[in-house]
Amino acid sequence: MSAQGSPVRGATTPAAGYLESLLAGRPRLPASSMAWLNELRAEAVDRVGALTVPTIRDEEWRFTDISPLTKLSLQPATAPVRHESIDVGRFALDEATTRIVFVDGVHAPELSRVAPDHGVVVANLPAAAMAHTATIERHLGCHAAFRSDVFAALNTAFLQDGAIIIVPRGAIVAAPVHLLFIATQADAASYPRCLLVAETGSKVTVIEDFVALQHDAYFTNAVTEMSLADDACVEHIRVQRDSGQAFHIANCTVSLGRASRYHSVSVALGARISRYNLNVLQTADGAQCTIDGLALIGERQLADTHTSIDHAQPHGVSRQLHKCIVGGAAHGVFNGKIIVRPGAQHIDSSQSSRNLLLTAQAHVDTKPQLEIFADDVKCAHGATVGQLDSDAVFYLASRGLSDAAARNLLTYAFGAEVIDRIPVAVLRQQLEAIVLEQTASRS
Amino acid sequence: MSTALQNLVNQPYRHGFVTAIESDVAPKGLNEDTIRMISGKKNEPKWLLDFRLDAYRRWLKMEEPTWSSVKYPKVDFQAISYYSAPKSKPKLDSMDQVDPELLRTYEKLGVPMHERATLAGVAVDVIFDSVSVATTYKAKLAEVGIIFCSISEAVQLHPELVRKYLGTVVPVGDNFFAALNSAVFTDGSFCFIPKGVKCPMDLSTYFRINTQDSGQFERTLIIAEEGASVSYLEGCTAPKFDTNQLHAAVVELVALDRADIKYSTVQNWYAGDENGVGGIYNFVTKRGLCKGVDSRISWTQVETGSAITWKYPSCILQGENSIGEFYSVALTNNHQQADTGTKMVHIGRNTRSTIISKGISAGHSNNSYRGLVRITPKAEGARNYSQCDSMLIGDQCGANTFPYIQVKNHSATVEHEASTSKIGEDQLFYFAQRGVGTEEAVSMIINGFCKTVFQQLPMEFAVEATKLLGLKLEGSVG
Repeated sequence: MSAQGSPVRGATTPAAGYLESLLAGRPRLPASSMAWLNELRAEAVDRVGALTVPTIRDEEWRFTDISPLTKLSLQPATAPVRHESIDVGRFALDEATTRIVFVDGVHAPELSRVAPDHGVVVANLPAAAMAHTATIERHLGCHAAFRSDVFAALNTAFLQDGAIIIVPRGAIVAAPVHLLFIATQADAASYPRCLLVAETGSKVTVIEDFVALQHDAYFTNAVTEMSLADDACVEHIRVQRDSGQAFHIANCTVSLGRASRYHSVSVALGARISRYNLNVLQTADGAQCTIDGLALIGERQLADTHTSIDHAQPHGVSRQLHKCIVGGAAHGVFNGKIIVRPGAQHIDSSQSSRNLLLTAQAHVDTKPQLEIFADDVKCAHGATVGQLDSDAVFYLASRGLSDAAARNLLTYAFGAEVIDRIPVAVLRQQLEAIVLEQTASRS
Repeated sequence: MSTALQNLVNQPYRHGFVTAIESDVAPKGLNEDTIRMISGKKNEPKWLLDFRLDAYRRWLKMEEPTWSSVKYPKVDFQAISYYSAPKSKPKLDSMDQVDPELLRTYEKLGVPMHERATLAGVAVDVIFDSVSVATTYKAKLAEVGIIFCSISEAVQLHPELVRKYLGTVVPVGDNFFAALNSAVFTDGSFCFIPKGVKCPMDLSTYFRINTQDSGQFERTLIIAEEGASVSYLEGCTAPKFDTNQLHAAVVELVALDRADIKYSTVQNWYAGDENGVGGIYNFVTKRGLCKGVDSRISWTQVETGSAITWKYPSCILQGENSIGEFYSVALTNNHQQADTGTKMVHIGRNTRSTIISKGISAGHSNNSYRGLVRITPKAEGARNYSQCDSMLIGDQCGANTFPYIQVKNHSATVEHEASTSKIGEDQLFYFAQRGVGTEEAVSMIINGFCKTVFQQLPMEFAVEATKLLGLKLEGSVG
């Protein structure tokens, strides 16, 4: 986090014991045969000890009160006995020939299928570490801010499994890679982890998909690290459809090399409280990123998206569109920070936060943010909060649509602008169906 | 950036002289006795002393805020003298009796203390360090029932009005610097426009800090009753010292039904030298309450001075259909820092607000817009439009935008947009083709950039502001 948006310093929270109780399940973790991984975990445990659970007195968490999470008594998820009984068919994406499934954070080889592709590594951590330990060691834990973020630290403390994708130099992976994270246990904390290394000139599409098979409370604390070497191109789609009682906190850190391109679409539909931190760092000249997001929430849900695009080097381009559709008594939060470092000239950046409030109790807190320390740049941001345009509703009504149908159509169209940007047709259709169904039930 | 652009910013500060006048300066330091001393010197009623002591006790329990993007060494509140006044006779009826040294000071600053025909149209309350030295056109304003005087005088002559409104918009414990001000404020302007009166001339206060190591803690209170309207101007300068002086003012505006208050500031405190030594810390709390229906409060500010500007003139839109406006130009150069913006709190139905903010950073300065638009659940049909543009001159400066938008009513419409740009080589080339030199071109581009704000200023001030911006930037562009 940058020092600029100086946080309001909060008092230390009494929830400190909470972190200890979460860590309590750790001794059951087997030590890894890789010494560096054991060291990494030990350091993360130290960081958890030094950090505190954020409260609304911390600027970064000002609008997201996670105290309900600290009131849950959570156990680390246990390895499920039988995977065979789980039907992943309804989550399957035909286009994604490679799928890795994690059940409560643990790799489920029976449910996964890996189509061999020239030299591309798609495996879980222990399997991938056999042949690629040097690459993994170079990246795992090196991008995520686990030293300053307590949730990233917790995830790292529990790090034993995870999805590893290594795309070698020049490889173009045609079919998207589907990472499916399934939550099956109530009152369990799971720590999904993902590392993507896209080497020079490679290209890949990755889908992170968080789903649930039950409706009780649980806690998903995910960390994703992505490293794009020069000229690499990554499409990253993230769908969070956790249960309505779940807590979902995720950190994704992306490092962009020279002239690399990163496109991400994140869709938040589920969870009682969800928080997604996406930090993109342009480490070299001419990197490009496009970050799109949609939160569609109702009832008493809270969806918080914090993004940071750090233009540390010149000639970078960034585009961002974030939309919230908020119904019921739900609460949408968006904070989008764009930083242009000294000397990072010729940056072209634009950001838009658009929010639609459907009901009287729905509310939104949005804060687009620019921090610019170079003069020859083009940066703009915009934010809007409002309701459906009454003229548009009238227009549709005059063509014979009922008021409800007109509103559904317009709400759907508002969300579809983001969903249309997903490059995987099957997933796009699934999400369109979900959005249409949700808007119909919410208005 | 070529040298012509560089040269445009580095204009000497023209108001940096010190007036050699014998002053009555209180010893440095702050405790309850200091407050009793200030209160005693002003012959204040007991309720006001209690008000001050209450504020002081709250202040003691508060921590200096650190959330802003401005950075400065901690202020030693015991090293400040909280009272400094020119030694002179009691307040006089005629300008002729004012200390000639003071008159000369204000002549030099271009502030009219004489009620001369050529300068008719603006009534001035002149504040020198801690006290008001003169108020012009008092009698003429009294004819229509307007009270315009220093706040100390108002406390003596209209205690019921002061007591009714003081601290109602900015409560004593509002924030660290407002609490300090409430404890030690020495003077400021008081203005009361009775029901239905349109103020026949612009009112204005001119602030001057003269004593080194003193702080200025002025308090301004403006009340516009039902249907009244007033346009109020504020100007300020200070001598060059190589130490920093603290200016922690509180301004409260109250607009009742259909009242209209327009508050304009051209702030030109000493900004420190090119290495950032000296200058004023301008930590001010300004807030207006649109209490009545259809009321309107409009803030216009041109912030060019001060080592650090840290203020958010705000509007509480309580009355139905009330309107809040904020127009701002903030220019920072050398090592100046500005963290300024506004808060628009929509409480009443159909309340509307407009925010136009233009930030220009040059040299090693840092300029932040920080704003809040809050739509409370009851503010049906509220509307806000915000626009924040930044311009950077040179690659050593910074421009930040922190807009907070909090919407709790779905019938509200809020729009915010911000952009950052620089003066393009192609723009300058275009001017050069038409025979316009770089400096003039830059000045025209900057004036165009700020035009929507300058249009809100009263005529004389707009001319002044345009000139000031040109002077400030002289030599920094090119």
